[in-house]
Amino acid sequence: MWLPIIGFIIGITLGLLTDWRIPDEYSSYLSIAILAAFDTLIGGIRAHLQNTYDENVFLTGFFFNIILAASLAFLGVHLGVDLYLAAVFAFGVRLFQNIAVIRRIWLGKWMEKRQKS
Amino acid sequence: MERRLVHFTLITIIIGFMLAVQLQTKRHPVVRDTRDIWELRKDLKQEQELEQQLLLEIRHNDEKIQNYKQSRSVNQRAALEETVNELKREAGLTEISGPGLLLTIEPFYPDNYVGPVVNTVSPELLKRFINELNMYGAKEIAIANERITNTTAIRDVNGVTKIGNTKVSSLPIQVKVIADNVTTFHNRLKASTIFDDFVIENLQITVSEPMTTVVIPKYDGNWHIRYMKAVQAEKEGK
Repeated sequence: MWLPIIGFIIGITLGLLTDWRIPDEYSSYLSIAILAAFDTLIGGIRAHLQNTYDENVFLTGFFFNIILAASLAFLGVHLGVDLYLAAVFAFGVRLFQNIAVIRRIWLGKWMEKRQKS
Repeated sequence: MERRLVHFTLITIIIGFMLAVQLQTKRHPVVRDTRDIWELRKDLKQEQELEQQLLLEIRHNDEKIQNYKQSRSVNQRAALEETVNELKREAGLTEISGPGLLLTIEPFYPDNYVGPVVNTVSPELLKRFINELNMYGAKEIAIANERITNTTAIRDVNGVTKIGNTKVSSLPIQVKVIADNVTTFHNRLKASTIFDDFVIENLQITVSEPMTTVVIPKYDGNWHIRYMKAVQAEKEGK
């Protein structure tokens, strides 16, 4: 349970320590990639809780979603249409749905535990 | 289960890393140096000139310090007086003469002109004019016999332009300029576009031929000294 959180902290410290910066034009790609990654992560947690977790789906979903979101943003820039909004919308909606499901599962477990005790 | 945890950890490490990079980018965006070689050369030259000037100043001040130190009792007073005179000269408190030019600002109307008659020069135009003169190497300037110093205010007071304490309410007015190299100054001025700006305001400038002596009066206002105090002599009278 704690390992992913420690990993998250390690990632942030690594990023801050390496002092990497990307040009301003590309920061929108990175932000959408972060959103896609979050979506996959939350989706993975939900699948784990619902016992439908498949590591191949999870890992391919992570990289595929990031690449898809970034290329959608890239296409949008070249077409002059804010296509990245489509990705933001899709990921945003799914993020909320998944978090809602996770909340319900946790809540259900908690209630069960309280009734038992 | 173990593998699952490892995968989650891997993903969270990547997310954390991306998040950190994004945060850092947003906090200090990369500023690129886009100067080309000519701009770089220009900047380098500017810095070199500044260095030269600073070195000259340092040498000058060193000499002054040497002067103060040498034969304290005899020369100190003379050195101090020299410094005071020099400062006065720099501040424009002395009359000064030297090779220069005489410029006359006059009204200028085309033959079939209908419209308002000007009898003053707008402060904006005068400021631009002074900047232009300084750019071409003017050392001292007096407009309508008012010495232009570092603190001379040129402003509009109820529709009349005031330079320091002098009103410019009637034309023509005379501008006296002293320059180190009058011929160059004259040539540069002749090629200037400032005359067109004057014509737009129905004024024209006549430039005299280079003269060997132009006398520029001293600034006769009071200097308000706010941040300096005289040092009390401790052993006075002993």
